[in-house]
Amino acid sequence: MTTPVEIDGSEGEGGGQILRTSLALSVITGVPVRLRNVRAKRAKPGLRRQHLAAVRAAAVVSGAKVHGDAVGSTSVRFEPAALVSGHHTFAIGTAGSTTLVLQTVLWPLLLAEGPSEILIEGGTHNPMAPTFEFLERTFLPQVRRLGVDADLVLERHGFYPAGGGRLRASLRPSRLRPFTWSDRGEARGVDARALVSNLPPGIAKRELGTSLAALGWPRQAGTSLRVESGGPGNALVLAASFESGCTVVSSIGSKGRRAEDVARDAAREMQCFLDQGAPIDEHLADQLLIPMALARGGAFVTAAPSLHTRTNASVIARFLSVQTSFTQREDGLWHVEVTETGAAPPGDR
Amino acid sequence: MLGSTLDKGAGPRRWNRWRPTVDLHRHDDLLVDRLELIVPRQGQRLAAAVVQDIASVSPETTVRTHRLDFEDPWDFEEVYTGLLDFVRGLTFRDSEDYLVHISTGTHVMQICWFLLTEARFVPGRILQTSPEAGNAGPGHVRIIDLDLSSYGAIRSRFEAQHREDVSFLKRGIETRNLRFNALIDQIETVAMRSRAPMLLTGPTGAGKTQLARRIYGLLRDRGRVHGRFVEVNCATLRGDQAMSTLFGHKRGAFTGAVRDRAGVLAEADGGVVFLDEVGELGLDEQAMLLRAIEDRRFMPLGSDAEVHSDFGLIAGTNRDLRACVAQGTFREDLLARIDLWTFELPGLAQRPEDVEPNLEFELDRFAAAHGRRASFTRTARTRFLDFAASARARWPGNFRDFAGALTRMATLAPKGRITPAVVREEVERLEQRWGRAEHAEFPRVASALGAAAADLDRFDAAQLEEVLRVCAEAPSLSAAGRVLFAASRARRRSVNDADRLRKYLAKFDLDFATASAV
Repeated sequence: MTTPVEIDGSEGEGGGQILRTSLALSVITGVPVRLRNVRAKRAKPGLRRQHLAAVRAAAVVSGAKVHGDAVGSTSVRFEPAALVSGHHTFAIGTAGSTTLVLQTVLWPLLLAEGPSEILIEGGTHNPMAPTFEFLERTFLPQVRRLGVDADLVLERHGFYPAGGGRLRASLRPSRLRPFTWSDRGEARGVDARALVSNLPPGIAKRELGTSLAALGWPRQAGTSLRVESGGPGNALVLAASFESGCTVVSSIGSKGRRAEDVARDAAREMQCFLDQGAPIDEHLADQLLIPMALARGGAFVTAAPSLHTRTNASVIARFLSVQTSFTQREDGLWHVEVTETGAAPPGDR
Repeated sequence: MLGSTLDKGAGPRRWNRWRPTVDLHRHDDLLVDRLELIVPRQGQRLAAAVVQDIASVSPETTVRTHRLDFEDPWDFEEVYTGLLDFVRGLTFRDSEDYLVHISTGTHVMQICWFLLTEARFVPGRILQTSPEAGNAGPGHVRIIDLDLSSYGAIRSRFEAQHREDVSFLKRGIETRNLRFNALIDQIETVAMRSRAPMLLTGPTGAGKTQLARRIYGLLRDRGRVHGRFVEVNCATLRGDQAMSTLFGHKRGAFTGAVRDRAGVLAEADGGVVFLDEVGELGLDEQAMLLRAIEDRRFMPLGSDAEVHSDFGLIAGTNRDLRACVAQGTFREDLLARIDLWTFELPGLAQRPEDVEPNLEFELDRFAAAHGRRASFTRTARTRFLDFAASARARWPGNFRDFAGALTRMATLAPKGRITPAVVREEVERLEQRWGRAEHAEFPRVASALGAAAADLDRFDAAQLEEVLRVCAEAPSLSAAGRVLFAASRARRRSVNDADRLRKYLAKFDLDFATASAV
């Protein structure tokens, strides 16, 4: 049997991203993975339910044998068998996010021989996770440039805590190719959407008022939307489009959090991205590393790459014979490039 | 348990409230694989809504609902038995980890769950949930392992209580004999956990009566019994009187039965009865006693109605009851019923380490009873201890002998100092006494009068023995007098019981202090 790749969760940014990247690449390469010290640096170490949901989803699409798949477990052994494309439904609790589970199974299924239809039920607009709008407007158009053939549909919104959201993904076999994002290009416009479900519409108006004023965006850029969902929910989604693509920043309302604070957080993050001048924002940078590695090449320019991104790159190098270089340019931005190394990665031996 | 109030909620706003059963499934660090939800008759609709919300927030969870109705959910007996039956109907597997969510239901239900878990009817841990400020999240979860080894604070409290209880059983005497201490530990454990009869064996004077009384005191202080402590020496019971003493009688049941009498078993309803010298009980009484133990019912003499009494039984004996069974003088089935928990109290000669702690105890007791303290000189103390722990000291009356020796020495001590001369006299007195044939029948008389006991007629010795027994148990001369002359007192013939008793004792050169020390 193939020697498993050993991943130590206490290295670098020991979060759920290490887990999701490891699972996805283990399924793709067919190499087992052993994760130790899972989330070792966190207050409550070990797997939480959202991570368990990712482990179980990855196991379903690969027929994997799993040891240590329990809440609180700090050691997981994952041995994939064969990729299973087709129809899959994953029901996850509100504590987890549908978008994070999609991240885990997306790449293996895109590389499968047949198409897949994935239905994920749970939260679609959770704090600490990409919102559906980020996937639809930022992530999907960019990865289509790498050759991804997929569609995403939000069938129902799911907000914390009631959940009950539905995200459908149609994935067709894709051949990935390198791509380079170097400039932002011309501005194509901005918009702001405030979503409310089972809450007074005044919340949306206040969020739009505050965020548009903070960013100096025109009032007509704002739209308030009432959406159907199983419980109360609110999200503010800000988008800025350039020739290079669209960047979405979201902030999720929660009980006890003032609408103005929700708006200011989103506006601050958007302003920060706009000021940096790079085409790729911090969150997308994280998401592009896997497809670029699978395409065996590609580059982008971003502001300071986070520890998250660097950790992600080092995990990828354990599975695939690629390396990621981080080079700071004279203008302060960073050039991130993925290249093939030729040498087999440790896990391939 | 479905929370009929806490789990309620309709419309989207229900998500703004803390609902313990639903919110239990919203924690990122707690995954409930299966929920066994107890639902009362009137809660069926609410249960359906709760189950649906759980499916939304935790699709990983399988929910099984169980219909369970309580006529009065605040009634301890009904709730406890109802939950116990429910728990017994479940199958527990070693491969599963069980949590008992106690944050819903009445307080009585919560207490019953606690008891069921503590008693290990549920092999799991207690799960307590509570809302958080502003209900921003699913609240707080606390898992409490009642396996006290991992629950430090409670365990140390528990151990302190245990130490206190054990010390209580040992009358506060810091005994050093390992076997004796282990025995007391075990008695404490059994007394706190079981209502089954206990049998205390051991030589006369080893402290069976004292211990039985302490066990009762412990049970009463810890709220395990609320009735009286009644003791009776079966050796003093004969014929009709034996039956009547134990089981009571109706007026006219036999010659002399001028009034109804309840009997000790009825008097000890909800309490404890101590039957000392149980081996002396006649076979008829044994048969009745067996039934009374098994059914808690018996028939008073001359009565046509059964009496119910929920008594705890402690029996005492210095005989080998198995030998009695072999000889046909003791029923085998009764023995089987009372010797489930047999504790053999060692005599003083088997506990030489405990002579010294008991010496301090007796001196304290003397000081408390007489208002003056006596203490040993250093040499005298060493001499007495050496003697007391030596092979020469047989202590046939055990602690009764020992207490008598201390009382005599303390009484005779010039200026409160027990000198080597006092010790020497006492040792001589003891040796002289032990050298004679023992008055096995009248141990208290033998102990109190020493050599002079042999000069008494059997007629007088029997009476004195009983008087001394009453004195030993009474807190004062007057109290003993009241007991001994109760009948005259009822007829108002005697107004000064204490004086009458004092004069009686004086005939034997005894005073109350000496008499009560044997």
